[in-house]
Amino acid sequence: MAQVAEQTKKSPMGGIGKRIAYYPGCSLEGAARAYDVSTKIVAKELGLELDYIEDYNCCGAMETKNVSFWGTMLLNARNMSLARRQGHNAIVAPCNGCSFSLQRAEYFLTTDKSVYDRVNELLKEGGVDPLTEVPTTYHLLEWFYHEAGPEEVKRRTRKPLTGLKVANYYGCLYTRPHFYSRTYSHNAPEEEEQARPRRRETADDDEHPYYMNALLEAAGATNVEYEPMHTQCCGGPHSLSDEQVSEKFVMMLLQTAKRNGADVIATECPLCHASLEMYRHRLMMKGVPDVDVPAVYFTQLLGIAFGYGANDVKLKDNLSDPIPVLKRLGLI
Amino acid sequence: MAIHERSLVEPERVLRKERLVIDGIDVSGDWNLVILPRVIEDYDLDFLDEVLKQPEGKTILQCYQCSYCTASCPVHNYWDERYNPRHFIYLARLGLIDELQKRADVIWRCVSCHKCTHRCPKGVLVEETLKAILKVMSKKGLIEEYPSKKFDTFFLEAVFEHGRIEDGELLFGWIEKQGYEVFKDPVLKKPIPFLGGTPEWLKQLAIKPIKSMNIDFLILNAKHMLFHPKTKNWNRFKQVLRKVMDEEGVSFVH
Repeated sequence: MAQVAEQTKKSPMGGIGKRIAYYPGCSLEGAARAYDVSTKIVAKELGLELDYIEDYNCCGAMETKNVSFWGTMLLNARNMSLARRQGHNAIVAPCNGCSFSLQRAEYFLTTDKSVYDRVNELLKEGGVDPLTEVPTTYHLLEWFYHEAGPEEVKRRTRKPLTGLKVANYYGCLYTRPHFYSRTYSHNAPEEEEQARPRRRETADDDEHPYYMNALLEAAGATNVEYEPMHTQCCGGPHSLSDEQVSEKFVMMLLQTAKRNGADVIATECPLCHASLEMYRHRLMMKGVPDVDVPAVYFTQLLGIAFGYGANDVKLKDNLSDPIPVLKRLGLI
Repeated sequence: MAIHERSLVEPERVLRKERLVIDGIDVSGDWNLVILPRVIEDYDLDFLDEVLKQPEGKTILQCYQCSYCTASCPVHNYWDERYNPRHFIYLARLGLIDELQKRADVIWRCVSCHKCTHRCPKGVLVEETLKAILKVMSKKGLIEEYPSKKFDTFFLEAVFEHGRIEDGELLFGWIEKQGYEVFKDPVLKKPIPFLGGTPEWLKQLAIKPIKSMNIDFLILNAKHMLFHPKTKNWNRFKQVLRKVMDEEGVSFVH
């Protein structure tokens, strides 16, 4: 196999703000409670502050945009407007779907004046403050990396995740498409970088993201090779409506992780997480080999490394049951 | 007439003549487009205009058919070769609706992973363009109700009603739409899990939190199913949403 050049890694550069508007999204209040709870723990430990967006609404995820363009624009503009009212210019979303939706709205609002004008008019009509400025949306991972960084994580780690082999699963929409997420290649020559004028300096590498790898490595875990599956699709918006395709995709994700020696898959999106857990179970019922890798939110792993117990980070909520693996390694 | 790409070995285009004699020469056997006319005149010139009218479809003309999207596409690579984003864009631009219609069983299978859009060297929003093509196809009646549209509309209904979605309700509501008989309590008309028909995998999946005595997680989700989390100050905004969606021609039950 050809030798891959060492990734140039960005060091944390700050600039997002220690206190941001936090858009948890609907999932984190119900089925993905563990992600919300562990995010709060990790943010507190790292000295960062989450300011919940009051009375937010659903971002529309990957579904509503296929039915109604303007409806989806409005849903996201309302959330942006609420964040602005709380005095924020930066929104952090822990979910790939939510950050995608907000960034998509940001793209259309900042590049198309007619969209911006119409949305503002409609916001006024709906009793919400119009947007004087369009806030920027960051993914939780990007925020942790740039406002705290691996050094800080290392400093806070009381119980290193020694011996834990992790496959870092980023999912699709964390880095893609660059029009919305404003990612770029950290390795590309200067002239190629210029081709993406909207790029955001703090954004992760587009094809080889590494922020989660860096954070978990700092917490003592070992990253297993997981490219290119780390940004492969889990079935996403079709996990309920197109079961055959989703099942095949998840099978590839789980088998690659297992065969590369991973103990757990670290996730950073409640939708991917749910899809992995649901289809893992179904594949195991069918007797498909090498699919028994449990999924854990990366914040749960960081929480454990920071000295919190299994109950504090709600490990029991994970339907794929990572407790036996973590117990075997003496981490909980 | 334009010369355009069309597969020459499609089975329905093969003409089989058991016995064919022309001017005393036996030419029996398989014949295809040599005999059928190659000229196609049924271009739908309106189709492209319709796609361009959609806010998501405006970039379709930038495409120069390099096929980077198709090479990246997981559905094309791992599921069905007939799913080919480049070809769909090509067909939409020419207005070859009969060819699009032939692919109606795969064209909705896009999983929105955005590899195509991300890698497109011409800045086409490929994923959005494909959704715009689907929308126009639906509008023109070229495609029947497909599963992902059913789910998308179902999801939008949930968002529209309360401002937020609730996982349990979404899951059981969808299962009900799949033909399972979900048991509902007589007062609140909320689904009661596992009393009615439930797929086996879901039953087994849900036993896990019960077995591991994860009571607070169960209570939380049961509470959300009974009392749907709602966005306050939603009603006025809902009316604006309704108005906008009516203009777009979105139809659903509410």
